[in-house]
Amino acid sequence: MTAYLVIFVAGFAGSFHCIGMCGGFACALGRDPQGRGATVLRHLLYNTGRLTTYCFLGGLAGAIGQVICTPQGTTVPLLGGPLDTGQRILAILAGLLMIAMALQFFGLLPRLHRITTGSGASTLAASLGSLLTAPGHAAPLAFGVFNGFLPCPLVYAFAAQAASTAGALPGFLTMAAFGLGTFPAMLLMGGVGRALAPAWRQRGVWLAGSCILLLGLVTVGRGILPFAVHFAHGWTEPA
Amino acid sequence: MTAQDHALCSHCLLPIGRRAMRRTVNGETCAFCCYGCCIAYQVKHGKTEEWEAAWLLIRLGVGGFLSMNIMLFSLLLYSDAFSGADAEMLPWIHLLLWLFATPAVIILGGPFLREAWLHGMEGRLTSSALIVLGVGAAYLYSAFATIEGSPHVYFDTATMVLMLFTAGYYLDAAGRARAARDLQPLLAAESEWATVVIGDGEYRRPVREVDAGVLVRVRPGERIPVDGVIMEGESHTDEALITGESRQIAKGVGSHVIAGSINLDGPLLIQSSGVANATRWAQICRSVRDALIRRSPSQRLADNIVGVFVPIILVLGIGASVYWARHLPFDRALLIGLAVLVVACPCAVGLAAPMATSLGIGRLARHGCLVRDPAALEALARIRLIAFDKTGTLTSGQARVVAIDSDGTRADVVLAHAAGLERHSEHGLARAIAAAAAARGLEPVAIHDVRVLPGRGIRGKSDGRIVAAGSAALMRELDWSLTPNLAECGRRREASSHSVIYVGWGERAYAVLSLDDTPLPEARSTVEALRCRGVRVTLLTGDLPAAAVRIAAAVGIESGDIEAGLTPEAKRAALERRRHDHGMVAMVGDGLNDAPVLAGADVGIAVGSATDLAREAAAVVLPPGGLRTLPWVIDVARAVRATILTNLAWAFGYNLIAIGLAMAGVLQPVLAAAVMAGSSIIVVLNSLRLERLPEPAPSAAAEGAPPPRSTAVPVNSEALQAGRPACPVPPI
Repeated sequence: MTAYLVIFVAGFAGSFHCIGMCGGFACALGRDPQGRGATVLRHLLYNTGRLTTYCFLGGLAGAIGQVICTPQGTTVPLLGGPLDTGQRILAILAGLLMIAMALQFFGLLPRLHRITTGSGASTLAASLGSLLTAPGHAAPLAFGVFNGFLPCPLVYAFAAQAASTAGALPGFLTMAAFGLGTFPAMLLMGGVGRALAPAWRQRGVWLAGSCILLLGLVTVGRGILPFAVHFAHGWTEPA
Repeated sequence: MTAQDHALCSHCLLPIGRRAMRRTVNGETCAFCCYGCCIAYQVKHGKTEEWEAAWLLIRLGVGGFLSMNIMLFSLLLYSDAFSGADAEMLPWIHLLLWLFATPAVIILGGPFLREAWLHGMEGRLTSSALIVLGVGAAYLYSAFATIEGSPHVYFDTATMVLMLFTAGYYLDAAGRARAARDLQPLLAAESEWATVVIGDGEYRRPVREVDAGVLVRVRPGERIPVDGVIMEGESHTDEALITGESRQIAKGVGSHVIAGSINLDGPLLIQSSGVANATRWAQICRSVRDALIRRSPSQRLADNIVGVFVPIILVLGIGASVYWARHLPFDRALLIGLAVLVVACPCAVGLAAPMATSLGIGRLARHGCLVRDPAALEALARIRLIAFDKTGTLTSGQARVVAIDSDGTRADVVLAHAAGLERHSEHGLARAIAAAAAARGLEPVAIHDVRVLPGRGIRGKSDGRIVAAGSAALMRELDWSLTPNLAECGRRREASSHSVIYVGWGERAYAVLSLDDTPLPEARSTVEALRCRGVRVTLLTGDLPAAAVRIAAAVGIESGDIEAGLTPEAKRAALERRRHDHGMVAMVGDGLNDAPVLAGADVGIAVGSATDLAREAAAVVLPPGGLRTLPWVIDVARAVRATILTNLAWAFGYNLIAIGLAMAGVLQPVLAAAVMAGSSIIVVLNSLRLERLPEPAPSAAAEGAPPPRSTAVPVNSEALQAGRPACPVPPI
């Protein structure tokens, strides 16, 4: 469970990073003229759409990881269990990807930043503009679904983590933990976002980067270290 | 929008064929070649305030939400999360999935069902029918399974197949739109808007409503919509779209501007000089549009295959289900049949040729080379022999002074006298002589009382002496003697098909000027470049053999490959003989007097003229001065053909293997749908490689500053300076 908690914290801290782009969407989604309840429902639907996409991506990444390394179909719990060669390689790759993303959070890999938040995002976001102002409850839900597919280093990092779990269920849980972590900040964006000082945002980004770095190092460690199993077993609570 | 506009897809500009989908976007009727283009166009162009664009996205988003949730629950089912103690939950989970799947199937499958129904009413089976059948079977079976309480449902398969197809079609269409980028400005001539100035007001009008004499305002960065004259303002324009040459041309008040060129840096007020749909831009637009609508032989073949493809797949799918049902449980057999239905992709076969062709045509058109028929492009790639006409094709078609044979007098003196006379005449040879004098910096002798003697020459007076330039007959008429040397020289020059002009003053002729058409500077390199590409070059001309041999030697055509003195019929026959020996042949001419030969060749290529594109007999039209682009055009044609062949090979190979695997029961339906969506994207990506072809070699004019063609005088300097007639063969 510890790992999922770390992911949740990373998601929570990382969502301050999201204020730049997704927060803008949340603000633009605005208030519902029919009152406070309707506004809350609107934002809940938007975040539900986003969460669904994250969970789907997580499940998919986990399933792909499973196809790659365990054709027999035995899943491994997150950060535990015996590892074969395929899983080790996958863990190393996913861990390296996560470390790269974490370094990018600290502003150390500007080139990577351009790649991960490519121009595709802005054109897609512009096309989706019509959804932000459309009436009804279906539009924010649909917007959330598409929003989840927008390129984002956080999502990539946790999708990689999900893939390294080599199972649809743990992959799904990884991304679900991350998505739930982003919930509070995104829900509050309408009112709180502006009041949050840039210094706090920066701290949030560093915290998120640290969490991802930690998870990345652990994931790489699972691939490399011979005692990884024991290490992981000591670290996580037995299920 | 005219009816013709609807022959091409509004999004990707590929021909629509019979699969048109019509929608109203932003108040304009649009036609699309497929569902993917319909989505991509609305996502890209749908205005934010338009309900339709938002509605489409909402439907897709909600459909995605539902199907992703179905997939997540199904993943939990597959990982046995509901086994053991939670087993009694299973029917409820199935019911939940059914609840989610019903709207998802309706939302995502609606467009496919509608298309299948419309085509079914016309008695045609298309790929959407396969999707509808497959998805419908999976959904209905799962619904029955839920009611009966059986352990397996396949709602996830039904919705994921729909989602993958929708996403695949969208990505496919988004990629295809890149092919349209080159074509867009060419096809804009008819749909462009112009800012018309009436009194103090400015109004936006469709360009086809702009008549001659109307004032049009063009801002920097805009395309000039009409031919006209600048009334106000200064700017630079880029006429690359029309002339194929990308360079800035300075324009001021009184300058002419061409429709289709881009106004680069200053606002202009232009008075239209003609009807908008008569501009060269509009002609190019119609020509390109016609070419895109036509089908090449390989396209027809592909279309025929696609026509029988769907029924065959239907039979194979049902056959696979029936066969496997005897060995496996019914639901597994059903899934195998479903995989067969969704993995087969006629889209890739249908897309193989038009995508590559339209990229090729767009690429060529951007450099001023118009292809009137995709079949010509494919034929051009297979050409092994190109026949050239001489005058106006390999040569400039304009006479120049190539030699001055004098009787002891200095060439400059002769030229100054001749130029003094000839500057009073408008005759083509006269202009050549004046230009030759100007190029050597000579001051023409002042001559008065000038009279043009039609058919014989020209005469006048200077310092009380008669000065004359003209034929031998004129010299005899004036009773001027010709030295035997000079007369012999003139005869020999005439025998080698030069035009000769005797020049004299006082009481006798002093010199004979020889004029001839000269090869274009780029002719030699073009012939060499063609030879490098394995294309044999021949010269077919109506001119005298001596002239043909001289020009052929100058441009590097071997003497065995020349036929001279041919009538148009004989040219055609000569071309026919060569076709017999070499297979496909192309003929390059200037398009005016060569029309029958150009029409008779496998590919007729017209250079330069192309004044009225609609009536041209040529299948390929190069821009004025575009001979140098010919090797590049052949490169593009070959690349297009190679792309079509690799596309077809991929499409057929993919289908054979994928259908085989699906029938063997190896491929899951969801995986099959993903693979199928990928197959046409690979065709698109392979075709987009054509964008990376090199540009044509820049022209001499763009590279530096060579002398203008009409004033260059490559005369034999020895003959010019010589005191006595030398009669050398002019080295060119």
